[in-house]
Amino acid sequence: MSTVTVIGSFTDDELCAHAIEALRDASIMDFSTFSPIPSHRIEHALGRSRSPVRWIALAGGILGVLAGLAITIGTTYEWRLNAGGRPLLSWPPFIVITFEMMILLGGIFSFFGVLFLAGLPALEANRGYRARFSADRFGLVVRCDDGQSARVESMLKEAGAEEVLCDAA
Amino acid sequence: MAAALKQPVAPNFGDIDRSVLRVMEAAGRAYWIWVGFCFTLVAIAGAMWARQIYSGLGVTGLRQPVMWAVYITNFVFWVGIAHSGTLISAILFLFRTKWRTAVYRAAETMTIFAVATAGLFPLIHLGRVWFFYWLLPYPNERYLQPDFRSPLVWDAFAVGTYLTTSTLFWTMGLLPDIANAREAASGWRKKFYTALAMGWQGTDRQWRHYSMAYLLLAGLATPLVISVHSVVSWDFAMAQLPGWHSTIFAPYFVAGAIFSGVAMVLTLLIPMRKWLGIEDLLTPWHFDNLAKVVLLTSLVVSYAYVTEAFMTWYAGDPIEQMTFHMRYFGAWGWMYWVMVLCNCLIPLLLFSPRIRVNLTALWIITIFVNIGMWFERFVIIAGSLTVNFEPSQWAGYHPSITEIAITIGSFAWFLGLFSLFTKFLPIVSMTELKEGIIWLRKALQREVAKAA
Repeated sequence: MSTVTVIGSFTDDELCAHAIEALRDASIMDFSTFSPIPSHRIEHALGRSRSPVRWIALAGGILGVLAGLAITIGTTYEWRLNAGGRPLLSWPPFIVITFEMMILLGGIFSFFGVLFLAGLPALEANRGYRARFSADRFGLVVRCDDGQSARVESMLKEAGAEEVLCDAA
Repeated sequence: MAAALKQPVAPNFGDIDRSVLRVMEAAGRAYWIWVGFCFTLVAIAGAMWARQIYSGLGVTGLRQPVMWAVYITNFVFWVGIAHSGTLISAILFLFRTKWRTAVYRAAETMTIFAVATAGLFPLIHLGRVWFFYWLLPYPNERYLQPDFRSPLVWDAFAVGTYLTTSTLFWTMGLLPDIANAREAASGWRKKFYTALAMGWQGTDRQWRHYSMAYLLLAGLATPLVISVHSVVSWDFAMAQLPGWHSTIFAPYFVAGAIFSGVAMVLTLLIPMRKWLGIEDLLTPWHFDNLAKVVLLTSLVVSYAYVTEAFMTWYAGDPIEQMTFHMRYFGAWGWMYWVMVLCNCLIPLLLFSPRIRVNLTALWIITIFVNIGMWFERFVIIAGSLTVNFEPSQWAGYHPSITEIAITIGSFAWFLGLFSLFTKFLPIVSMTELKEGIIWLRKALQREVAKAA
């Protein structure tokens, strides 16, 4: 039995979310969405956990703190500058450098974390993508057996899809 | 009422795309003449800098004791201009402010080009610019390291981090919009946007990570922006010089930065809106809100001027009192009063709601604020240096043609880069405006449900 891709196009995220809920109720799980905007409604319907990119950002922040301390303390020990017998390590200025390093590495890690987790840069288009899904339509792409495709098509139409296409592959 | 809601609320997604993408169509002759004019001024400034590198800092007006003047004023001015972009794009994002969506891309772009302009000035100010890397901590064969007790080293870290983080934040916000532009474009632009969009298609997987990271970057940029101008102010406040050595400098400079930055956003947006034909996207509502930010920060800055004077009087240090006496009534006193007029008195007009939505009046007021804030930095930086501890050290200062040409060149560089941006990348965030439509639609539905 071959696999078919059913593509539903919606004018509103609410309708798209209804279709996702209907699919999940029918235990059809192999689908993905395209949308021009981040939609809380669709995210809620998908029921995925929160993105792990926040752990990557945290790791970047911690690494930044360690790097800031290493640079300041390390160079002070390498080049000991005795200022009137005061303690060698001057913490207040070191905090400034450490803070900036924390933000810098936290920011860089979050950015590249997204690219990594989202699979960017992507050289090949995702299956079922249409140009309008970047502009003004919400797309729901379902992969199923061709026996199921008629049922999926009618489910998407029922949920309010403006257009449903079937792409055999 | 319920029947009306079945129709999509105007404007719809397509209207937004049409309005924004139309701006990016091929530019006319007037546009290229303007860009050419800007970069000609940049070339003149570049030639003057080359001459300065060849002959040494003697071609500038810098003489003991005034070794920091126009260049450092420009540095602080441009870093300050940058701040409003991050305020609008990150801080107001965290506060879920609705009016920011239409203006934040332009403000954020201004941030990046302003930091890029500011970053040049410490280099231009260096006598031996080829040794700029001495500011960076790298393993050195002479075991000679940067002294982390120096605020100038903090500055290198703060401004470097600011440029990097705000560029990443900006790039991230641009991705979905560039993907949208890619679908509408043709020819070489199609290839250009396809490469820039990195294969963004708005899948649920992409949005899931994107939304989280956008929030995180906004959260990181917020303390960063406050730290950057605080660090810039410490370049002065850490020194013993009367007029610089003050504990109020960090909040005082941050408020001044936001004040001058939002004024610059208005100075750019008002003509841009007209020339690019985006009157339907940037409405008087946006300008009214931006004008309120200018008014608020103007009051904070005025308060700081009064506090500074009070602290000097109350502390009773005769040398500091002399510095402030010269600042108000000395040879450069007129600059101080120009600054008070531009920063404290003229912005009071914004208390009038009619003036806040009168774009011509608003534009003129923001020009005055830009002038006033430039003078503020000059008065603090160069003015304090002319009056030192010993009257025998006192001296004047005159900017040379090199400094004037490079200052004009920096404005041209900033405006030229910004003009190029407006024609090649989406100047208004289509994604966020569309989110605004969804929000509006839901709010209307809630109202209808309540009425029923």
